[in-house]
Amino acid sequence: MSAASPTAVQGAASPTGAAGTKQGLKLVLKVWRQGARGAPGQFETHELQNVSTDMSFLEMLDVLNEGLIREGKDPVAFEHDCREGICGSCGFVINGQAHGPQKETTVCQLHMRSFRSGETLVIEPFRATAFPILKDLVVDRSAFDRIVAAGGYVSVNTGSAPDANAILIPKDNAERAFDAAACIGCGACVAACPNGSAMLFVGAKVSHLAALPQGQSERDHRALDMVAAMDKEGFGDCSNHLECVASCPKGIAGTNIAQLNREFAKASLRSGSR
Amino acid sequence: MVPMVQDAGRSTRLDSKEPSGPIADRWSQHKFNLKLVAPANRRRFQVIVVGTGLAGASAAATLSELGYKVKALCIHGSPRRAHSIAAQGGINAAKNYQNDGDSVHRLFYDTVKGGDFRARESNVHRLAEISTQIIDQCVAQGVPFAREYGGTLANRSFGGAQVSRTFYARGQTGQQLLLGAYSAMMRQVGSGALDLLPDREMLDLVVVDGVARGVIVRHLRTGAIERHAADAVLLCTGGYGNVFYLSTNAKNSNVTASWRAHKRGAFFANPCFTQIHPTCIPVSGSYQSKLTLMSESLRNDGRVWVPKAKGDRRRADQIPDEDRDYYLERRYPSFGNLVPRDVASRAAKERCDAGFGVGETGMSVFLDFRDAIQRDGEATIRAKYGNLFQMYERITGEDPYKVPMRMYPAVHYTMGGLWVDYNLESTVPGLFVLGEANFSDHGANRLGASALMQGLADGYFVVPATIASHLAGRVLPKVTTDHPAFAEAEGAARAMTQRFLDLRGTRTVDSYHRELGLLMWDECGMARTREGLAKAKARIAELREAFWQDIRIPGDAENINQELEKAGRVADFLEFAELFAEDASVREESCGGHFREEYQTPEGEALRDDENFCHAAAWEFQGQGKPEARHVEPLTFEYVKLTQRSYK
Amino acid sequence: MSSVTSPNPPGALRKGPGIASALRPTSMRWILRFFGSSIGKKYVMAVTGLLLVGFLVAHLAGNLLLYADESGGKFKAYAEGLHDLGPLLWAAELGLIGLFGLHVFYALQTLRDNRAARQSRYAVSASRGAKTLASATMPITGAIVLLFVIVHLVHFRLDDAFKGDDPAGLVKSTLASPLAAAIYLVGVGALTLHLSHAIQSALQTLGASHPNFNPVREKLGLGLAVLLGLGFASFPVYALIAWGGGNS
Repeated sequence: MSAASPTAVQGAASPTGAAGTKQGLKLVLKVWRQGARGAPGQFETHELQNVSTDMSFLEMLDVLNEGLIREGKDPVAFEHDCREGICGSCGFVINGQAHGPQKETTVCQLHMRSFRSGETLVIEPFRATAFPILKDLVVDRSAFDRIVAAGGYVSVNTGSAPDANAILIPKDNAERAFDAAACIGCGACVAACPNGSAMLFVGAKVSHLAALPQGQSERDHRALDMVAAMDKEGFGDCSNHLECVASCPKGIAGTNIAQLNREFAKASLRSGSR
Repeated sequence: MVPMVQDAGRSTRLDSKEPSGPIADRWSQHKFNLKLVAPANRRRFQVIVVGTGLAGASAAATLSELGYKVKALCIHGSPRRAHSIAAQGGINAAKNYQNDGDSVHRLFYDTVKGGDFRARESNVHRLAEISTQIIDQCVAQGVPFAREYGGTLANRSFGGAQVSRTFYARGQTGQQLLLGAYSAMMRQVGSGALDLLPDREMLDLVVVDGVARGVIVRHLRTGAIERHAADAVLLCTGGYGNVFYLSTNAKNSNVTASWRAHKRGAFFANPCFTQIHPTCIPVSGSYQSKLTLMSESLRNDGRVWVPKAKGDRRRADQIPDEDRDYYLERRYPSFGNLVPRDVASRAAKERCDAGFGVGETGMSVFLDFRDAIQRDGEATIRAKYGNLFQMYERITGEDPYKVPMRMYPAVHYTMGGLWVDYNLESTVPGLFVLGEANFSDHGANRLGASALMQGLADGYFVVPATIASHLAGRVLPKVTTDHPAFAEAEGAARAMTQRFLDLRGTRTVDSYHRELGLLMWDECGMARTREGLAKAKARIAELREAFWQDIRIPGDAENINQELEKAGRVADFLEFAELFAEDASVREESCGGHFREEYQTPEGEALRDDENFCHAAAWEFQGQGKPEARHVEPLTFEYVKLTQRSYK
Repeated sequence: MSSVTSPNPPGALRKGPGIASALRPTSMRWILRFFGSSIGKKYVMAVTGLLLVGFLVAHLAGNLLLYADESGGKFKAYAEGLHDLGPLLWAAELGLIGLFGLHVFYALQTLRDNRAARQSRYAVSASRGAKTLASATMPITGAIVLLFVIVHLVHFRLDDAFKGDDPAGLVKSTLASPLAAAIYLVGVGALTLHLSHAIQSALQTLGASHPNFNPVREKLGLGLAVLLGLGFASFPVYALIAWGGGNS
């Protein structure tokens, strides 16, 4: 780990806060810097003073970047968009944990009140062979899209749908489907898995559609094709550590992995020579 | 920039192609009158879809299913990250499953009235008609809508609607609908029929012989500038709320695609029509990067209040009822806390400006669940709003089960956008504009749960039919990316990038964006005045000048460079903002989300001027630094009588 | 120009479908696909693993006969009964070797896949509490068990004395050595740790997972692992205490 010269950046002091004059946090950041895909990377150390506890983690990085740009340095690249925990763009590892220490929370929703003054935060990109690092904390997660393209859908052309209430779905099934469909595709499951496995992501999509009558006709194809696509992308195998479940910002359950196993086995048996 | 000139009166440049005849038959009659492209011929047409939110993904999927050759470009690493994903509340449809008197006509009526009579009747009726098919399509795709125990779809009343016509998937309806459209699109990608190009930002529209024939994009991960030729271009690039810097929009939402198309000839309509959502989490500090919306459904159970005494610093639970001013219930006894968004927002601003606001900054009002929790129990409230309460606690560190939420309005949606005719085609032939990016069917104010409806209506049902009017109706000679128009547009894009990199100034792009946003919020936000708008225009020009002298972009253009991306977007916002202010100052009336302080009723409500402003204003770019020309499309109301909105 | 249709990273990290490539008829293609897939491999490991657990239960039950009488007569009768099975015993043993071999083979395959899928490590490694010592050390405990099984076979199955008059005596004399007892304790310890994750994990892999059932599954797996561990560990411990503790 080669540390660059520490940079002191003045954080924006919070004008608000319940206590009125709150003292901000002093933090040491060790951030992974990597110029491009395949380039060697290293950690760079920065010190931040007076970080408001009301800031989100990404706003803290904004402040860091603002300072870096003013100093003529390259800002830390990280993906983000909605900043309300639903688009799945953001995601990196803080002190070894995908999306940081707070349960079921993306880094954009993680606020600095979760940290103590004086802490050192090691910030790294998601690491998995299937998610190549593109720059700093930005990784390529397009493997997920290719898996979905392999079968994560119901084949129904626009205009050919029956009346919505013609398909009755028991409330519990709809709820189960929703629980699985809540995945935001951020990739924290892969990042947290010691094997770099995508089973939770794939399991969630397969379970979502398997719980609904609309998903039945392609059920077998979906399981077979999505697993084949997943394997092709170079994700690891599941060892049931379930770190993925513990790291999922949306609380996707491990039962989805077991369901994927069942769906795949049943589909394989039924598939014959296909 | 020179002051802009006004060109009042009907413009010959704006042909709405609105059908005539009984309103309920217009869409089907129009579809019948449209030209068709035969199935075997469709593969000969290349269509480019820019943006993959609800409108873009649904259009790309559907056109691909129909057999057109489609290229979908998205600014994100994955189409699933488009900001449609963040819509919480729901999607309206005139299904009348609840048997509470809803109908296509009622949804049409509510939308026209809610939009304060500034939308085209024919478009709105079509939207209401199509709404029911959207739900069918989404259910068939596997969107897990909320259900009743019997297995039928559940509905709720939303945003003050007096019928239950809103379909929802917990507080994540936008996510589920987008994933539905995304999966339909990915199915086409998987079969090889659709070419999906992620990480592309549109930098220019290529117009050949007056027809949109392609785009210039930058690959955001390699920096490569690419040319893509097509027979039709669909812009589905969302709204421009981020001109305010702080909004509920995602950080990457921008006006660039629309603005650059505008500069190539697409008229921009009603830019001053912006929606301010009343219930957002207030700003906490200068570092604030965005605002988070709390679903409007919270107003079904939460009561909005401020202390009766100015500067009352007591904790909320120590302020007894007699010292609380439930100002919405007081001013609007029949709608109470459920008045439309623009009304609720202005009322909150009025209270805060008058010095009754709460919180450290005094710029928020309480949204209190105390009574609802007492009435229904905490468990019921948790079941209804659990995820929203949790989100609020994450952000503020306050527990809304114990202390009231603090809320303040924030920019949320933009009704203005590129002008389109009934076919959703802009003033540049071959350029279609869908979803929030067009000037849309919402008039001057959008009803809750109608944005998702419009995006999907445009993409699944309208454009797949109307695009044939262009493809089959015009002679489209073959154009390749070798055409000089591509070289010219690419050259301009490269020159702009180089100019940014050469600036080597002192300030960050964000610092200018923030300054612009603050200015827009103060002068072009919830309440506007002639003087304020004049001041804004002058200040925007100064800011733009400074921006082009003083920004600093680190790095180069050959790799991921997020500052470079932002620079292009903010440069466009700085031009667009001036048009926005101009539009707001010329529209000397108040309507929907556009509130001019000079034009209000004695009770402080918006006062329309139907005699002079019952029209859509569409602006024509006339050259860099030249005033824009204002064109007018008069709006006629045959089916919904022009009345003053009243929510008392 | 990169688009989603053309995968940019070279995805083919995995080699062929392993041993199943012996099967060629087209009607059997699903078998190739299944055993070559990530999930198929885990199925093989789960099924072979659970069958081996079944063997361990029987093995322990038989061994417990050592405690049945002082003379070791019951144990001898049990051993003779097994030997009398003749070819059947051979078949059973071949089956066991097959199970074990498959289990190890696929363990190596998945280990290779997983290494390839995660080539770089985090500077800070922190579990969120889901990963356990047992789950994190499966390859290590597995390797220890493999070595231990070899030692164990050399000690007993391959020692002709075991077919002699006093198999119980051989057990006692072997285990009475502190070194041997220590080896056995380490082996059984590794096995227990391995199983404490393996049993419930195998059931999850086979699809037995439901919110209501999961706590039971996890406790069942752990309980069975501990019972087997205690049972097997009792022999070296008992040997040290009761069967001498001195040299044989």
